[in-house]
Amino acid sequence: MFYRESGDFKTSYIQDQQIFPIGLDRWFVAVVCVFAVLVVPFLINDYWEKSVLVPVLVWSMAAIGLNILTGYCGQVSLGTGGFMAVGAYASYKLTTMFPELNMFLVVLLSGGVTALVGIVFGLPSLRIKGFYLAVATLASQFFLVWLFNKVPWFYNYSASGQISAPERFVFGIAVSGPNAPPWATYLFCLVFVVVFAFIAKNLTRGRIGRSWMAIRDMDIAAEIIGVPPLRTKLSAFAISSFYIGISGALFFLVYLGAVEPTEAFGIDKSFLVLFMIIIGGLGSILGSFIGAAFMFLMPVLFKNIMVGGLGWPTDLVAHLIFILIGGLIMFFLIVEPHGLAQLWRVTKEKLRLWPFPH
Amino acid sequence: MSAEVKKGDTLLEVRNISLSFGGVKALQDISFDIRKGEIRAIIGPNGAGKSSMLNVINGFYHPQDGEILFEGAVRDHMKPHQVARLGIARTFQNIALFKGMTTLDNLMTGRMIRMRTNLFWQALWKGPAEREEVEHRKRVEHIIDFLKIQSIRKTPVGRLPYGLQKRVELGRALAADSKLLLLDEPMAGMNLEEKQDMCRFVLDVNDEFGTTIALIEHDMGVVMDISDRVVVLDYGRKLADGTPGEVRDNQAVIDAYLGVSHA
Ligand SMILES: Nc1ncnc2c1ncn2[C@@H]1O[C@H](COP(=O)(O)OP(=O)(O)OP(=O)(O)O)[C@@H](O)[C@H]1O
Ligand SMILES: [Mg+2]
Repeated sequence: MFYRESGDFKTSYIQDQQIFPIGLDRWFVAVVCVFAVLVVPFLINDYWEKSVLVPVLVWSMAAIGLNILTGYCGQVSLGTGGFMAVGAYASYKLTTMFPELNMFLVVLLSGGVTALVGIVFGLPSLRIKGFYLAVATLASQFFLVWLFNKVPWFYNYSASGQISAPERFVFGIAVSGPNAPPWATYLFCLVFVVVFAFIAKNLTRGRIGRSWMAIRDMDIAAEIIGVPPLRTKLSAFAISSFYIGISGALFFLVYLGAVEPTEAFGIDKSFLVLFMIIIGGLGSILGSFIGAAFMFLMPVLFKNIMVGGLGWPTDLVAHLIFILIGGLIMFFLIVEPHGLAQLWRVTKEKLRLWPFPH
Repeated sequence: MSAEVKKGDTLLEVRNISLSFGGVKALQDISFDIRKGEIRAIIGPNGAGKSSMLNVINGFYHPQDGEILFEGAVRDHMKPHQVARLGIARTFQNIALFKGMTTLDNLMTGRMIRMRTNLFWQALWKGPAEREEVEHRKRVEHIIDFLKIQSIRKTPVGRLPYGLQKRVELGRALAADSKLLLLDEPMAGMNLEEKQDMCRFVLDVNDEFGTTIALIEHDMGVVMDISDRVVVLDYGRKLADGTPGEVRDNQAVIDAYLGVSHA
């Protein structure tokens, strides 16, 4: 009711350029952050860790990554699963080759390796656009998964062809392996997601973000203004892949613990992340979070209600969820391409003017 | 690189430019110059090659023949984003704004070539990155005031009416603080009042910012009023070149506009 910006006058450009220009929003975000860091670790248990918090954080990271490439820079990619696999295998190779290497560094370097791979697979984007680029990234998806199945070096010649996360410690506390406490894995993921969400927000509201959006909206005009197309697109591929690589590393090290590439990083993951950003909101960092939470939690919720509560058969519910997701995606693509984040923004605008709509 | 160009000196010169698309000869042996500080009009019937000429100047088309001199130096084969860095900005015949971005962001993007903080500082949004953002914001706000578009600062430009979009596009080109501004039919499709506003802006830009302007325009009244010199194209060839008065009295130009057969 008292959500408004009147009386909240900006007296400098710095104030006007804040991430959250409205005072109440800043308070809200601060409270959420404090709660997430200081309260949640004491309440968390195995179920909340494995079924809700850690996966939502990992998928948010991937969604931010894809949103940078697709939502901000306009380059459609179906290679997200493959790039997550690069992050996962990079972290595995790094931490088995250098067991003493700090885990934060392992994850960051895995992101770096994925960024390099992303640049290579982004090269065709100078020549091909839209649907054709999507097909090219699809090829990279299949190639990467094939590579990690085919070359034994990547899985350290293990008999099963799987990789499994060894036990590793940060400040003496396990963050990977079977004995890692839920609060530690949660905080480990939270640190990455919070820090890199802010970085993503900063990048997208500054020069680099504007050059990405310029390429997305009108590449010819962007070029004539002085935006170098190849460099700009490749920077989007690199930074996007960096985020996706980190999410892949966390997905493997912290969440799954053991992976088999076809299963863990298949094409379905590429689509999952794409649906997250479509439903959450293309070109929105907040939307990446909303989309990740929605796409991951909605099926869990429906299963609990329909199977657990109403006693419907599991396969029927699974199909219903598919239909629902398909319907939602069509709805958002046609009616609201900026997704749930935009619906939220519109609601806020209405609230701000309430009760005087004009 | 090149010596300082003073008002009245040649800023840009095109020499013997020929451009063809397959069998279509869009430009044939075109030469003319643009002097620093002037408003230079390019006119001609539909399909005469006017837009193609601008596309050649800003590196979007590469002519088969001829050369371009900017500030006295011959320009090598350049990509459009390199030409922008030389100091040449433009607007398009069909508006080419960044539709998903706000007016403010469109203009800030126009200043791209003048921003240089690295990825690290931008990621933190502190120190040099924040200072740079504020400094360029000031310049952009000056242009926003100049064009009287304060009220649409935060509106995504896709939602604006046509006339305002044209104005924002001019703003984006101005934001680059270029030496040469190319305007492709800035007044097309406007009503009388909007046209008068736009004329005012073009004259003021030329006057206040000292920007050299080359513009394509079909409205002869406007051309005669605001331009210093006019070059006339027809079927890819140059018909005439001179002051508005000279061009108006030129028999070849009159024939071309009255549609005398070329047979
Ligand atoms: N990219 C292209 N490919 C093929 N032909 C082209 C291309 N661009 C321009 N042309 C041709 O070159 C000729 C000149 O076109 P141009 O757009 O320069 O004319 P114009 O003088 O700007 O006309 P208008 O007043 O209609 O804008 C036309 O015959 C056009 O069809
Ligand atoms: Mg034209």
